[in-house]
Amino acid sequence: MQTRGISKKNFDRLPEVLARAGRTVIAPVRNGEVVAFAAVGPDTAICLDEINTRLSLKEFFFPRTEPLLTFRRTENGIEMSDPAPTQGETIVIGARGCDAAALPALDALFNWDFRDEAYNRRRENTTVISIACNDCDACCFCTSVGGSPHNTAGSDIMLSETRDGGYLVEILTQKGEALADELADLLSEAPGEALPYAEVPVKFDAQKVRRALEENFDSPLWAELARTCLSCGCCTYVCPNCHCFDMQDEAGKSGGARIRMWDSCQFPLFTKHTSGHNPRPTQASRWRQRIQHKFNYYPQKFDCVSCVGCGRCIRLCPVGIDISEHLARIENEAPERPADHPNDNY
Amino acid sequence: MNAKNESGGNIYRPYMMRVVDIRDEAPGVRTLRLEFLDEAQAAAFRFEAGQFGLYSIFGEGECAFCIASPPTRRGYIECTFREAGRVTRALMRVEIGETIGFRGPYGNVFPVDEWRGRNLLFVAGGIALPPMRCVIWNCLDRREEFGDVTIVYGARTVDDLVYKHELKEWAERPDVNLITTVDPGGETPDWRGKVGFVPTVLDQAGVSPDNAVAVVCGPPIMIKFTIPVLEKAGFAPQNIYTTLENRMKCGLGKCGRCNVGAVYVCKEGPVFRLDELRALPDEY
Ligand code: FES
Repeated sequence: MQTRGISKKNFDRLPEVLARAGRTVIAPVRNGEVVAFAAVGPDTAICLDEINTRLSLKEFFFPRTEPLLTFRRTENGIEMSDPAPTQGETIVIGARGCDAAALPALDALFNWDFRDEAYNRRRENTTVISIACNDCDACCFCTSVGGSPHNTAGSDIMLSETRDGGYLVEILTQKGEALADELADLLSEAPGEALPYAEVPVKFDAQKVRRALEENFDSPLWAELARTCLSCGCCTYVCPNCHCFDMQDEAGKSGGARIRMWDSCQFPLFTKHTSGHNPRPTQASRWRQRIQHKFNYYPQKFDCVSCVGCGRCIRLCPVGIDISEHLARIENEAPERPADHPNDNY
Repeated sequence: MNAKNESGGNIYRPYMMRVVDIRDEAPGVRTLRLEFLDEAQAAAFRFEAGQFGLYSIFGEGECAFCIASPPTRRGYIECTFREAGRVTRALMRVEIGETIGFRGPYGNVFPVDEWRGRNLLFVAGGIALPPMRCVIWNCLDRREEFGDVTIVYGARTVDDLVYKHELKEWAERPDVNLITTVDPGGETPDWRGKVGFVPTVLDQAGVSPDNAVAVVCGPPIMIKFTIPVLEKAGFAPQNIYTTLENRMKCGLGKCGRCNVGAVYVCKEGPVFRLDELRALPDEY
């Protein structure tokens, strides 16, 4: 890994310099109250002083809605085509380490056995320049899920703010190197000293939580934890790791598209069978699924938790549910062994 | 499609299939026979008993059903479905000669080869005979490889029994022991089969677990009451198989819909042995 520096002045020129090479540059931009990722031009102000963007980086790899194939009705029947790639070469500037760290976890899902072409194409086309955190809020819990304010996982380049107002530039991958070579004129060999990183308190032990989850599928705690949950699904939509989707056709007389769109395991219809039987009929069972999937099933399957501790689901939950608090309670209050093993009744 | 697309390609792109035959099985239940439009795809296509696919009407969407015809009958596949929602309603309107989409085969398989030399017991209820018909015909097409074959099938009413032609054929075969039943009140004056729920009829049939495997498909409630009957009869969990009917969208282990415990039913299932099923949370 190589380290360079970049002055504030040169950093501010990045959108212009990078866009000149014909790419899309995406960065956090303030729009009133909300800071969100958007395509930026030479005159857009990049906003790096917010704890985190409203929505995660996920949608630039796994869009909210996207056609999986299109079709036309012709004289000779249906003609199918694959949708044209929607995203060319892209540079992300200013993602938080947590958002970037969600990408390797999504890679595992979109590549096991069947490779999802559209997702992988966007991953290959995108270089992620993330920025370490000097500040956090009460909702952040990256340090509880194996991350840190300076987590480099999933980033190609990581910036850390320095005392002189510039940034330390850590070049982490080949993609990052290629970009650094291109920007060589803007980078200096002698970076300034990085400001101290945020101190994010550890709220639970993910290993212990996983063991508690394995043994407490049937705990009465679930009903209590989910009691105020509205089943609105907000947590899943703002989550950088949640990947569940629905597929629907949209078509008119002459043709249409088969589309995928984000969906949520928190909705009752998500699992409802044609017969009317619903394997997860209560909100307690659906909230349990979200937590079990992220902190128990996903680690079993893909060797990583499906959570980066970004805190969005806590900040935006309309009834103030705090998943980190729930996980701490599961760790501390869930019994070692449930009285009745849930699987004995089938 | 079925290939693991290591070479790239759109995994959501279906095969184009021509509907070559339509059979009505029961009120609201229909079978479509499908052939590949593309001959090269037809020649390369392979599947095994137990696997499923996503059948689609362009403009309406996709729907997951098992492949109901056996792999021993090459050149076509069949699916049997009940009209229930947007896609199945559209499938009901399809006519012979029209084209529909198919992605598959997906999921794991019944270990038919492992069953060689053993007695086979198939237990199905209602619209769950189609998932089992594939493996039944697969075994009957290789009849000499297996011991006794017993099929217990029940539906709510006589009218609701599917594959009536084939039931007749199985009833007439000396090498198949077929027991059909309808729920109390579902019988007609000329009904010759049993009257009673599948678990009860199975219990009365006195099936032997010796050197046998049992395959059970049906609504969750039927399975719930059938398993104890099999266990009481002496079947070990490793010798009891079922297929799960969890809701599916992608069939590829991506959309998350079929996730139960650490498995994706579309990938590690839909076929499970009872001992495997018991290791999963009760969410199917
Ligand atoms: S059906 Fe999508 S993951 Fe199984």
